[in-house]
Amino acid sequence: MTLLDYMEAYQILEKYGIRSIESSYVKSAEEAVGFSKSRSIVLKVISQNAMHKSKSGLVALDLNSPEKIKKTYADLEKKAQEFAPFKILAQVMAKKGIEIIIGGNTDPQFGKLILIGLGGIYVETFKDAASRVCPISSYDAKEMLLQLKSHSVIAPTPEAEKRVVDLLLKASKMFFETKINELDLNPVIINENGYEAVDIRMID
Amino acid sequence: MIFMPENKKYANLESIIHPRSVAVIGASENPDKVGHIIMGNYVDGGFPGKLYPVNINSTGTIMGIKSYKSVLDVKAEVDLAVIAVPAAIVPAVLDECGRAGVKGVVIVSGGFAEVGNVDLQNEVEKVAKRYPMPVIGPNCLGIMDPRSRNNTLFLPSFKIDKPKIGGISFASQSGAVGSSVLDMINHEGFGLARFISYGNAVVVDEVDILNYLMHDKETKVIVFYIEGVKRGKEFMEVAREVTKIKPVVIIKGGITEAGAGAAHSHTAALTGSYQAYEAVFRQCGFSIASDLKDLLNFAKIFSTQPLATGNRIAIVTNGGGTGVITTDALYKSGLKLATLSKDSETSLRKVMPSIVNIRLPLDLAGDADDKRFGDALNAVENDDNVDAIVTIALFQTPGADSKLAESLIHFGTQMKKPMVVISMGGSFTQAHKAIMESAGLPVYGSPSEAASSLVALIDYSKYRGKIL
Repeated sequence: MTLLDYMEAYQILEKYGIRSIESSYVKSAEEAVGFSKSRSIVLKVISQNAMHKSKSGLVALDLNSPEKIKKTYADLEKKAQEFAPFKILAQVMAKKGIEIIIGGNTDPQFGKLILIGLGGIYVETFKDAASRVCPISSYDAKEMLLQLKSHSVIAPTPEAEKRVVDLLLKASKMFFETKINELDLNPVIINENGYEAVDIRMID
Repeated sequence: MIFMPENKKYANLESIIHPRSVAVIGASENPDKVGHIIMGNYVDGGFPGKLYPVNINSTGTIMGIKSYKSVLDVKAEVDLAVIAVPAAIVPAVLDECGRAGVKGVVIVSGGFAEVGNVDLQNEVEKVAKRYPMPVIGPNCLGIMDPRSRNNTLFLPSFKIDKPKIGGISFASQSGAVGSSVLDMINHEGFGLARFISYGNAVVVDEVDILNYLMHDKETKVIVFYIEGVKRGKEFMEVAREVTKIKPVVIIKGGITEAGAGAAHSHTAALTGSYQAYEAVFRQCGFSIASDLKDLLNFAKIFSTQPLATGNRIAIVTNGGGTGVITTDALYKSGLKLATLSKDSETSLRKVMPSIVNIRLPLDLAGDADDKRFGDALNAVENDDNVDAIVTIALFQTPGADSKLAESLIHFGTQMKKPMVVISMGGSFTQAHKAIMESAGLPVYGSPSEAASSLVALIDYSKYRGKIL
């Protein structure tokens, strides 16, 4: 059981047409500043030894100036020593929206299941999630959404529903066809402009 | 050597369910023995086929019927052998059945994996797989099939209600759940097609049973209690097919949370093994019961009512408060009240007394009789804004009597829309409930039971494409 490299996972999503937020590894504070191009960014420590990044304090959000980026880069690098080997990932700071989770796991009897639920910090609090065995049909995807208590938050309009259904179908196809056994896209941020997967975790 | 052909994925249970000849192995004159009770089922139950009591110690006859020391001595076609002997000799007896060319076997004996005797159970499996015959059990009640009068249940017959012949089939891994729910199905009189208690599922498993019941013409509704599935892929394959033609009501025992320590991701924490089952059940259009009472409640509506065209419900009641509580129950379940069409409003206004407000829930007032109920039901039945009807008949009121029950039976069994009745109360109510139910009208004792049963029907109607 190994965690796929972040950028490898990023490329798998890209191949299946699932949008994720612009990301790149950075090897120095200067590279991080270069990546930001005056945009607000996020820095994350990526390590096989740290499965839960934010719980370990290895994520820094909303870095909106070269000074902040440089100082935070140095801090993170120091904190990350105990999880070595590690890399530092820079991402564009995501726009505000509803956080959902798209997940996948493998059941010994029924095989791969795809899941959708209210995401971010609410995943384990509300456990509002629905799953189906892959591959799913668009009927299944719609029923999954209807099953959620947070249905009207996640899909407030027919257009929003269509976007999420489309995302679920792509994610189901991707999870079904690849060698990965566990998947977390958490959060995927949805707003009126569309969606973006902000954190990706794939385990094979 | 295994004779089970590779391409034959699902066991043929015909000879086990409705045999023309039955050997009871372990048959006994001793009323305390399981083999005696089972013999009694056939002798007293009027089984029309051939009966062969088998007991190693037999000396000529058992319960007045010629007996045999071994099934090998029968020398005639045996459709079903019921094995009710001590666990230790089950493998040997089963092997004799195989050699005798018995067409199917039910092993009711317990004392195998359920008490830790895994080796003995493996031995049974090994023997069974040498022969082409399907084997149900061990550690089960077996079969009750009222049409053929096949009955392998070792329960004293006075303790369980006799079934009416009907369309509900009930399969249960557990004998205890099996016998109590079977008794309730029989008691409510909606009619039984087949009862199958399959215990440890060494050979015949839930997939075989689901497949059999799917093809069985007598089975209109399948009710299933399972604890686990061994062939996940095949289960889904059959499950997707069966719900295209008939509803399946299911409850799963042994719902456990995945240990948090074993979870490697957020998703894993949200997907314990029950979540996988729930996903499969939903994906295959099963109606998930969350309680044993639901099994019966859902079976009632499925076995008697047509599929629905939507979730707009008309409530017709002779009690105002009960109508309000029922409205709440519907909304809590995700259903909604219909809005009467202008035509219905006009026609109802003409026939209803002035104390009746013409809107839903339609409160016909405490003095409503069968005539007033009839006028109301006639209007909502023909109203295109109404998809299904809940009739609340409180028999404590002056106008409600057996004529009302008759009128409700008339509407509830003939109209093209689903209708359920809510009647709550004591002896007088229960008597009328029994009359209505035996005529095929589902009656519920509370608004929430009526609502959850309607949801099951409407969800399945949607799955079948009756609702867009």
